[in-house]
Amino acid sequence: MNLKHFLKHNSREVGLLVALVVMTALFGAINPLYVSPANITDIVNQATIYGLMALGMTFIVISGGIDLSVGSVLALIGVIVANMAVAGVHPALCIVVGIAIGFGVGAMNGFMVAKMNLQPFVATLGAMSFIRGFAYVISGGYPIIGIPASYRAVVDGMVFNGIRTSVIIFLIVAVICHVLLKHTKFGNYTYAIGGNEEATRLSGVKVDRYKILVYAVGVSCTAVAALVQLGKLGTGEASAGQGYELNAIAAVAIGGASMAGGRGGIVGTVLGALLFAGLKVGLIVVGVDTFWQYVATGLVIVVAAYSEKIQSKFSEASGRVRTWGAPPQRAGGTTGD
Amino acid sequence: MQDVHIEFRNIDKVFPGQQALKNVSFTIARGEVHALLGENGAGKSTLLNILQGVFTPTRGEVLIDGKPATFANVHDAIGAGVIKVHQEINLVPEMTVMQNIFLGCEVTKYGVVDKRAMEAETQRLLTSLGCRFSPDARIRQLNVGEMQMVQIAKAIHLRASIVSFDEPTSSLTDREVETLFQVILRLKADGITILYISHKLDEIYRICDRATVLRDGACIGTFPVAGLPKERLIRSMVGRDVAMFAKRHRPRCVDWRDVVLRVRNASGITGFQDITFDLHRGEILGFFGLVGAGRTETMRGIFGADRLTSGVIELYGRKVDIKSPADATAQRMGLAPENRKTQGFVKVLNNLDNIALASLDKFQAGPFQSRKAKAERARQIGEKVNLTPNDPAFFTTNLSGGNQQKVVIAKWLTTDADILMLDEPTKGIDVGAKSEIYALMEELVHQGKAIIMVSGELPEIIGMSDRIVVMHDGRISAILTQEEFDETKILTYAVGGGVDEPEALSQAQ
Repeated sequence: MNLKHFLKHNSREVGLLVALVVMTALFGAINPLYVSPANITDIVNQATIYGLMALGMTFIVISGGIDLSVGSVLALIGVIVANMAVAGVHPALCIVVGIAIGFGVGAMNGFMVAKMNLQPFVATLGAMSFIRGFAYVISGGYPIIGIPASYRAVVDGMVFNGIRTSVIIFLIVAVICHVLLKHTKFGNYTYAIGGNEEATRLSGVKVDRYKILVYAVGVSCTAVAALVQLGKLGTGEASAGQGYELNAIAAVAIGGASMAGGRGGIVGTVLGALLFAGLKVGLIVVGVDTFWQYVATGLVIVVAAYSEKIQSKFSEASGRVRTWGAPPQRAGGTTGD
Repeated sequence: MQDVHIEFRNIDKVFPGQQALKNVSFTIARGEVHALLGENGAGKSTLLNILQGVFTPTRGEVLIDGKPATFANVHDAIGAGVIKVHQEINLVPEMTVMQNIFLGCEVTKYGVVDKRAMEAETQRLLTSLGCRFSPDARIRQLNVGEMQMVQIAKAIHLRASIVSFDEPTSSLTDREVETLFQVILRLKADGITILYISHKLDEIYRICDRATVLRDGACIGTFPVAGLPKERLIRSMVGRDVAMFAKRHRPRCVDWRDVVLRVRNASGITGFQDITFDLHRGEILGFFGLVGAGRTETMRGIFGADRLTSGVIELYGRKVDIKSPADATAQRMGLAPENRKTQGFVKVLNNLDNIALASLDKFQAGPFQSRKAKAERARQIGEKVNLTPNDPAFFTTNLSGGNQQKVVIAKWLTTDADILMLDEPTKGIDVGAKSEIYALMEELVHQGKAIIMVSGELPEIIGMSDRIVVMHDGRISAILTQEEFDETKILTYAVGGGVDEPEALSQAQ
């Protein structure tokens, strides 16, 4: 594959990479501490939780859905697994149970969307509240402390030079997600359903089943985030993860996925998560007032979404050149290939 | 001699690649019920849309009361009292009857909405139309007939002088049709001019004074309805030049002993009843009908996209239970939907992914999908269907309509489907691509596949079919063999006037 072809088909990812480099250089120029190894590790560490959640959200968004419940799921799995770990359950079993809960909750959300025909926004808004409720019921509102070191070492142990297992877990999950999305039947259907659910159904695809699976896989990623978070903080709290769903969605949107479905990718989401975390840390490092940090973060989300619009307009214009006598339609983005 | 209300003068309307109306001129008298007749695509709706200000004519003008009245938009048309009664859209479902009637022209008193005055007026309108629902009823609680009444009430409220109906009875019950006719005659008595589009000739004979026939966008003539033989009316609607390209080039290849698909008494809630037919190996079975005859619904029902309420489907002599398109696909059936762009393919996918979409299991290599195998297969099949450009990485949405259709067909060839249901396969595509699709269909039946071709184009259905199923109002009105193919005959069945009803015909004379 030649370079020009690569740039054309991965323009979004390349653009994000450039933005990431420029942003890092800018913050670094203002405060050299920003580019110190310690700070960069910090950014990457920060990015893992949002990033893991965003990886799962990528599937859901590409399929044309959304899941607002993932912040609550983070708390629910946090308190359940914290209780298990404190009770001395083996870390491996804790991890398996945590992921199973995530898969189950996701399947439930998917069921509401696919079989009960509820709008994803409303269905998962409901789930967001009752899952949070369960987390409080289980924990009684008290933080669960005293997570054994054996558990913490597995999910957030130091490997070398500040690189933690959590980062490695993030990378592994990202690779798995990428392969799932681009190289399996499940991934192909995820794009197709998000692109045109009816056409996909009429092609003989069991759309309902795959939509349930999309949510199950998506929320499983949040389960991994919950397991890692528990190791990082050492406490399980029912109030954890509030608003995290929005951060995850923001990372996915910055990464170039279309909220209308059918478009997006794991590489974009990973870059989006890094950009998001880098921005948050950067604003602190250069000394921007806390309140202004919110403003800046919001602006970046809007600008990123707008640049995606401009980009698709541009690719539509270039698609016109290649059109064989047909009225130009919205050209496809970084799908399938 | 007559009081001319509306005059169409030399109207041309050109759409990209198609002339919808050619030099159409005729007049409509004040207070008459005037029918617009013609086959699908003859230009009736286009003409109505021009009157209504939805389209502007490429050439020519509309005169109302002798004054130019070519409206720039629907709003202006409504302001001038020219109102169209839509099927069901155009009302806000969550609002009440009263709110809908007064939408945009609310009565106010001291700056607040005067509910009492509006309620009284709404009640008066509803009573005068013989409606029994309350002004406070919400639109979503009403049925289609009642929604039409609300629109008519609104038209009267807006002091309409011209009211047009486009196929108003297609989803009404017999009782509702009766009520509608009473109301239309009442509007007429009040001096309102009515334009009426319908495919149902008996309706035309019941309520219309005169009829204008359009054919291929040209005005054939205006006839007084009373005393006009039904046959003559039908004959004036057909007679389109049978296109040279819609014909079979190879010997017929139907194996009449081999029934691949047997449908018995299939009915569905979407609007088809008691559908019974056989499809043979190597056959192209045409399904003809006018808009609203239930052809698309029938295909979707057989394919499992909509539920059948009763009926039996047999494939190769074996009864099958098809509950979803997935079941149909597993039984090696394929459907190219009528609405290609919204249901036929996925916009965000390229040719490769669209072609492989229905058969991903074939490209499984261990746990993964093999892109290489898909690209190879897509290129192979693309060559077979003569896809231009035959590039697997090309986005389907950027292809021409004809090539998009080839991608949809290629998708089903990839699944090795033996029964293909092609719903309006050549709709909206140019002549060259049409003949390519025809050649492809012929090639496929020669390979032993069976094809159902749904089409509203008479020349196409006559030129390509081995037999023709004619539908009217959700039912099969005739199944014709090749010797019986005749435009007038087919259209007679399609408008619901069976040729076995000589009395009806002579009565009309």
